[in-house]
Amino acid sequence: METSIETIWKDGFLKSDTLLAPKLNNLYNQKSKHIIEKFNRMFKRNLIALVLGSTLFLIYSIFADILIMGIGTFIISNSIVIVNIKLMKTLKNIDKNVSSYNYLKAFDKWLKDQLRINRKLARIYYPLFFITAIAGIWFSGNFQELLSEILGKPHQIYLVNGFPVLWMLPIILIASLMAIFGDKIYNFDVNLIYGRVFRKLNDMIADIEELRK
Amino acid sequence: MSSDFYTNSIVPYSGIIIKICRAYTDSQEDFEDYYQEVCLQVWRTKDQFRGESKWSTWVYRLSLNICLTMIKKKKNNRQHTVSDYEVPVATEDNHAFSDESLNLLYDAIKQLSEIDRAVILLYLEERPYKEIGEIIGTSHNNIAVRITRIKERLKKILN
Repeated sequence: METSIETIWKDGFLKSDTLLAPKLNNLYNQKSKHIIEKFNRMFKRNLIALVLGSTLFLIYSIFADILIMGIGTFIISNSIVIVNIKLMKTLKNIDKNVSSYNYLKAFDKWLKDQLRINRKLARIYYPLFFITAIAGIWFSGNFQELLSEILGKPHQIYLVNGFPVLWMLPIILIASLMAIFGDKIYNFDVNLIYGRVFRKLNDMIADIEELRK
Repeated sequence: MSSDFYTNSIVPYSGIIIKICRAYTDSQEDFEDYYQEVCLQVWRTKDQFRGESKWSTWVYRLSLNICLTMIKKKKNNRQHTVSDYEVPVATEDNHAFSDESLNLLYDAIKQLSEIDRAVILLYLEERPYKEIGEIIGTSHNNIAVRITRIKERLKKILN
């Protein structure tokens, strides 16, 4: 006689070994590995994007006659990449043979150190990016033509020793503001990209701490 | 997670969790991962339970949602290789029950779509159609039709 699926189900689960629950240990073992791997993947991807982006921009700058902007952006971007590759190498020092909690805490500490260094650097490279962009425009052929036209007309621009002082002032002001608030801009940038991973990491650590109580 | 919570609120329903996790995994490692994830989420969301349904229904719903989410995540993380579309087969790593008929039934269930798996699991657990409809998000008439269709399909696979 054919057995119905209902009977197979009922009879099958009557046997004592069928519903043995796995032991709950190392709840966060896999999760902690996953989140750190995910962060590393994102981080590497962003560094590659920075190298590729700055290279493409360098090529574009040659044709767009903004070579100084292209070279400056390339140098600054790749300096950031070199620093961060060096920082990433220190991640290997984290001992993986510890509990999930200690592993996550060690990673969290590494991450905070890394962010602290990058925040300091941001106060330098944000103004540098800005100045490079302005210099790129200033020394471009098109802008120089426009400048000659303006300079050709009397009283159009105020120069001191050949420098357009009134034009320099807002540039210096903006660059100074970027130097002052570079860390805040960096925080905003980083949260846009890694915010979700950071929140997950914090939630996970908070959960484990509660579980440990 | 306090041992009290585990003993009183999870252990009595671990059977439900095991049955569901088993239907969505192909290896013992995945099964344990899914089981642990469900237990963790039951504990994390315990304060959101307002008593509007039975605790067992809550655990069902949560277990299904988590298994479906984990399957989706796993698929997204994996490269789309041919194996994604292969029918799951029993492997050495599979966590097999001692009852051969039950193993065959599970293998057949795993050939169903993810939602059909959820429907048939709830049906086999003797949940009323209305409740299955609420959990799945469809009418109980639709569930009745669906169950007939799924049972026919399972019969075909098993024979």
